[in-house]
Amino acid sequence: MKKRLSLRFDGFDVLKWIIYLFFFVFLIIPLFSILLVSFTGEPVNLFGSLTNEKILSSTLKKLSNVSVEAYTSIFTGGSGYFEALVNSLKLGVGVALLVTIVVLPIAYAFARTKMPFKPFFAAICTIPLIMPTFISSYAFVLMFGKTGWVNHIYQALGGEGVLFDVQSMMGIVLVQVFFFFPYALWPMVAAFKICDVTLEEASQNLGAKSWYTFMRVTLPLAMPGIISSMLLIFTVSFSDFGTPIILAPKDLNLIVVEAYREIAGFFNWAGSAVLTIIMLIVAAFFFWLQRMVIKGKEYGTISGKPTKQKLNDHKGAVSVLTAYTALVMLVPLLAVGSVFLSSVATTWGHHALPDGYTLDHYKTIFSTSGKNIMNSMLLAGGTLVISVIISTFVSYFVVRRGASGLDFVSSIPLIVPGIALGIALIQTFNTAPLHLTGTALLLIIAYTIRRMPYMIRSTMSSMMAIRKDIEEAAVSLGASSLVAAITVIGPLMLPGIAAGAILVFVTVIKEASISILLAPTDWAPMSLAVFQNLLRGEYYTACAMAILIIVIVVILQALAKKITKDQLY
Amino acid sequence: MGSVRIEHLNKVFNGNTALEDVNLEIREGEFFALLGPSGCGKTTTMRCVAGFETPTSGKIYIGDKDVSNIPANQRNCGMVFQSYALFPHLSVFENVAYSLNIRRFYQGGMGTKIATLAHLLNSKLGKLDRETEKKVRDSLDFVELGHLADRLPGQLSGGQQQRVALARALVMEPAVLLMDEPLSNLDKKLRNVMRVTIRQIQQKVGITTIFVTHDQEEAMSMADRVAVMHGGKLVQVDTPTALYSNPVSRFVADFVGSSNILQGSVKETNDVGETLIEIGGNRLLRSSFPAKKKDVEVIIRPESVRLFTGDATDSTDNILDGTIELSTYLGPTIRYDVKVGDLQFEVDTIFEAGNPLLEPGTKVKLEIDPSRVVII
Repeated sequence: MKKRLSLRFDGFDVLKWIIYLFFFVFLIIPLFSILLVSFTGEPVNLFGSLTNEKILSSTLKKLSNVSVEAYTSIFTGGSGYFEALVNSLKLGVGVALLVTIVVLPIAYAFARTKMPFKPFFAAICTIPLIMPTFISSYAFVLMFGKTGWVNHIYQALGGEGVLFDVQSMMGIVLVQVFFFFPYALWPMVAAFKICDVTLEEASQNLGAKSWYTFMRVTLPLAMPGIISSMLLIFTVSFSDFGTPIILAPKDLNLIVVEAYREIAGFFNWAGSAVLTIIMLIVAAFFFWLQRMVIKGKEYGTISGKPTKQKLNDHKGAVSVLTAYTALVMLVPLLAVGSVFLSSVATTWGHHALPDGYTLDHYKTIFSTSGKNIMNSMLLAGGTLVISVIISTFVSYFVVRRGASGLDFVSSIPLIVPGIALGIALIQTFNTAPLHLTGTALLLIIAYTIRRMPYMIRSTMSSMMAIRKDIEEAAVSLGASSLVAAITVIGPLMLPGIAAGAILVFVTVIKEASISILLAPTDWAPMSLAVFQNLLRGEYYTACAMAILIIVIVVILQALAKKITKDQLY
Repeated sequence: MGSVRIEHLNKVFNGNTALEDVNLEIREGEFFALLGPSGCGKTTTMRCVAGFETPTSGKIYIGDKDVSNIPANQRNCGMVFQSYALFPHLSVFENVAYSLNIRRFYQGGMGTKIATLAHLLNSKLGKLDRETEKKVRDSLDFVELGHLADRLPGQLSGGQQQRVALARALVMEPAVLLMDEPLSNLDKKLRNVMRVTIRQIQQKVGITTIFVTHDQEEAMSMADRVAVMHGGKLVQVDTPTALYSNPVSRFVADFVGSSNILQGSVKETNDVGETLIEIGGNRLLRSSFPAKKKDVEVIIRPESVRLFTGDATDSTDNILDGTIELSTYLGPTIRYDVKVGDLQFEVDTIFEAGNPLLEPGTKVKLEIDPSRVVII
């Protein structure tokens, strides 16, 4: 009996080291090697160095040529990298500030007023989250482009030219504001909800007017939450690839686009490595900053009890806030509508409405792009399987065996922008012995790593929800640990795993940066097909495919939601 | 079969001693309470019996069998958890049937194994045999929950969940029933009801029961014997009455009910074998307990003191003069805080309708029967 027990533990340990190895090979080494490349200016083959002496000696020679030249040259000019970094920082800061200003009243309305239609507004808020950003960007082109329907209306009303140039920094900022605001909305709603109403009443009791109470009590209490979501928006905006790739004009340098061009256009390894490292540093810094803000400022957790909220029902305030919320929500709604209209239009652009309607574009995608749909399903399915296996075991190790190292390693991808991960993987696995660049496997691994932190959160929370004594109860009733795991823990965890798995599937289907960077032609998924169609000028079929993606995502997300709801016994 | 013997049990967690040389003998059919503050080792002791903790050293016997090296799932200990630990995804019926299914799974042939496993994973698959079905029904009827068999645990009240947990533990006919703070999640009223219910069920089944609690009232009212634990050690094992009237240490006295604890020094032993103790300010108290050393602690329960005003008695026997500082009305009793010189006494008197509470400042006399002056 004793012998079997110790064998089983060994098995678990082996499994743990296999998972560590996975992260080491596909995350740590690539990031490390890109760091080396940024200093040597030449490709470095780390895996080759381990197996082949010649490669090793050439690697060592390259390493002896280490210099910080690549970094200093950023500032001395010429490459345009510095400009790209500054532009990206400007974009991130601008979007973060704007989102905060735009969302603040909506968050307040959700958290603290008797605003009507809250569930409806909440449903609309999911639209931006399910639309890949490059599709939202194209939706903005459909609306605000030179032949966009908004501008047709604008001209009909007597305006001259266009409202604004959508292919500009302004366009990028607007798309990001309207499509990233839900990331900030819910944390801010939560921030407003934690303010204990008794504090506000105390302030009013002390003679403060309600606006003064808001400014001096409510707002300061919500501040950590607001700042933290602001920093989150910065990181999301800074790392976003979909919007700039569609909307950035030739003369606007942004770091993600620059990095993409360096690797995909010019095969400039050193340049893309430097840019990747810069992106990583910025993203990591803001991620760290966000953690610092949340840390130690958790006013909300002072009393463990849920605080009761008094909802503001001032008629004037509520109707103004409702109208404002509706207006903001209208933009993503119109964007989806535009994509849909374009997908059923014969041609569109001469007038505010399409010239005619047809379903031909859908026929086209099903006849010519069936392969892309299939690819998406296979890639997402593969990612799902690997993610489920790894994350289930990682959460088991972390929750039940206190393996905090694994927790740390598996959350590193949170700070790695998609494009950076893509570049790191391409460079590392470009040559033998592990020549994986251009294979579906590397694509699947990239998806897996990128989505791993989210999947782990999902499985970990369902693992933590199962109290240890449930397992002990089964054991005291006669079941061995294994039988208890199969008959009790398994069934209890299943909904959490299933919901997490569906969400992984969904994000893979809408993933843009990694697909565009890593997908081989044979394995082009739907998102890449949309992107290529847009580049080729096949706008209507791109829109039809985009609608298909959105429909799949909506259905799967609803399914995941239903599963998690049913989980609450 | 059914008795529990613990010999020289030690448990060390990461260098911290949780249990130190615990020796216990729990008789068959006995309701035995492990009482103590949190961290005293009572739960660890129980978990060692259940097999969830491996003792650092020591032996545990259930009946005559040494179970120290038997895994938890083969010890045949029914356990009721503090949180009840009902399986949330299984109906009340399936919760209770679980142990019987598991037994069938282990004992049956290949066909039975597969069928039982399928049934455990989805109760719609595979049928239970008649005997199991009847056992579960009987067991649910026994705790008066037969009508709720198809509910999920989440749809039951706390008291009902508690009874399901009890039925689930009892249906496997365990050698010992272990209960870990089973009443702590219930509100006060329900707790009092469940105390009686659990005690009645235990008596009916006649099962050896170990009951862990930090609530002295619970332990005293339910158990045949109580073991008081402190800092990983057993302090006193006794019947509730002996524990209350004759605590062996200040800790026990303090933990089991409230008491006046006084420092005193032994003067002499008189001719009737009583000990004379000076308790400060030349005040002398007689006690019927023998003293083993000179400096002692004296324990007097608040209700052991008779309080009266003025010269209602002419006896000067074991009487102290004091002044009331505070009167607290507690319903059936009144608690007086009385100052005797620089000593502080708590005195409980029965409230009689029509008698007003004594005002603070009232001069009173305290009479204490020597047989209730406990020396430690």
